[in-house]
Amino acid sequence: MSLLDYVMIAIRVAFSAFVPLCFIAVCVWMERRGAGFFQDRAGPNRANIYGFRAAGLVQNLADAAKLIFKEDMVSGHIKHKFYFILAPIIVFFTSLVSFAVVPFADTLVLGGKSYIMQGIPIDIGILWFFAFAGFAVYGIILAGWSSTNKYGILGGLRSAAQVISYEIPMALAIISLLVVYGTVDLNEMAQFQGGLLFGFIPMWGVILQPVGVIIFIIAAFAETNRTPFDLAEGESEIVAGFHVEYSAMKFAVFFMGEYVAMFASSAIIITLYFGGYQIPWFSTDVLINYAKPVALLLMILLPIIMYYFTGWIKRSNVSHYPRENDPRVFEANVYIKCFWALVVVVEVLLLTLLFCESGGSMAHIFVTLLQVCTFLTKVTMMIFVYIWVRWTLPRFRYDLLQKLGWQTLLPLALLNILVTSALVVVFS
Amino acid sequence: MGAEVKTMIRKGSSLRERLYLIEIFVGMATTFRHFLRNLLDNSKLYVRHYPEVEPEIPVRWRGRHRLTSHDDGTVKCVACFMCQTNCPANCIMIEAEERLDGKAEKMPKRFTIDLLECIYCGYCVEACPVDAIRMDSGIYSVTDNNRESFVLGIQELLETPGAFSEEDYKKGGA
Repeated sequence: MSLLDYVMIAIRVAFSAFVPLCFIAVCVWMERRGAGFFQDRAGPNRANIYGFRAAGLVQNLADAAKLIFKEDMVSGHIKHKFYFILAPIIVFFTSLVSFAVVPFADTLVLGGKSYIMQGIPIDIGILWFFAFAGFAVYGIILAGWSSTNKYGILGGLRSAAQVISYEIPMALAIISLLVVYGTVDLNEMAQFQGGLLFGFIPMWGVILQPVGVIIFIIAAFAETNRTPFDLAEGESEIVAGFHVEYSAMKFAVFFMGEYVAMFASSAIIITLYFGGYQIPWFSTDVLINYAKPVALLLMILLPIIMYYFTGWIKRSNVSHYPRENDPRVFEANVYIKCFWALVVVVEVLLLTLLFCESGGSMAHIFVTLLQVCTFLTKVTMMIFVYIWVRWTLPRFRYDLLQKLGWQTLLPLALLNILVTSALVVVFS
Repeated sequence: MGAEVKTMIRKGSSLRERLYLIEIFVGMATTFRHFLRNLLDNSKLYVRHYPEVEPEIPVRWRGRHRLTSHDDGTVKCVACFMCQTNCPANCIMIEAEERLDGKAEKMPKRFTIDLLECIYCGYCVEACPVDAIRMDSGIYSVTDNNRESFVLGIQELLETPGAFSEEDYKKGGA
């Protein structure tokens, strides 16, 4: 193995390990500021370092510092301390590892060798995700049981019941998807979605499986314990459910695990149904062949987008009350300078691409980076949908939840398999 | 005459509502409109930038207490114990002494209010026969680092100025 091989392995493993962790901060920030804007309030925007608030991102540092330095308490009545401490680790670890099979870019070809762009180079794809996503609930059940607490046990039981009734429609929705794609490898699925239906519609899973996508997204919401399916921690009924006995960093690990799970399941939804890293109408081959025109287009688009973004920063980052020598204006100017510096750097990089030979390794790397950006943008949008749903819908009642799972989603998923299989047999 | 029966129409049973998805999308459109409006122009948020922009306190607001005084600066309170008797939280503690300037027979030697006990009900103001105690200081934020500083003595109560003019207080208040 050459040095390049080792570097590529390090990059792909680091990406699939650290990007979900970085996205915890982004998710928490989006959740809190998003919740604020949904409810016509501002959200946390006061925490700052020398006056720099970074639109509220500094609040995350304050939260982290608080949670780390809080007393890490295990109450005396807890008999099984080992399982009590193991539970949040299981939740966090399984969520993090379930992202490892998601491809974040198409296979990169450098010097005749191809490098796969996912954390673990195995082709069982969706099965790996199912195995670990299903395993995450053991952490929740274990937490509820080892808390030796009524509310904890109730939360764990609810979560167990919910997972049983929602894993089945989820798996059935996937089966009809597998019939369409003919593979379990997520990278092949994403490549399949780069094609065009009738020559002009992108062959995304959402167009081929419109019912499947609804079933899968609903089940994925239930799987990640997010509203409207967050019965396991229904604070109005069972205080905090399974994590009622947890404090400090042990609670924070649950909390982070929830956001990593949200990121991982967003990534899976994107990869299965919304084209993964594919840009609509620009499949990998097209992008490599037309790398220079695409780069030129980006060079024109970037400053235009940044111009409007600058205007938005200027309008938003001011004090909305009379204030002499508003420090937020200075703050906004610093941000604007940083962003323009970033744009200049990207423009220079794109310019060097224009002077390289077309179709060479530079073009391949450029396409990979473009696909990574596309993937992360799509995942961020999906995470926004998660947040949007959380601040719109109330929690389901327990009986309604089970009714929806068994009496609606399950028959619908079975019918979907039937219809899909029939159509696939007829058209192929 | 029988009682008038009003039948409430239960919502949520029509097909459109039982499908969930349509109503969910309608609801999500509503919240998204709020989100977009606030994201594009955050001056439209329905919030006050609190420590910098303070709320307007109306005359009838029950703020921190104060003791009023005569024009010559002597205390109006006649130590009748009406407020202390009336106080549901037992936060007022009066100790009386003889008054020698001829304005009344008694005056308070000690008059303490424990603000940590006080529930700001305003009964002391209503009970007072000589308008000696008022809650018109306009102070709504009572904060400190130690418990002792929340126990106000007669001197602090007398020194607290009223936030409103006499006419406004008479018009709005009791």
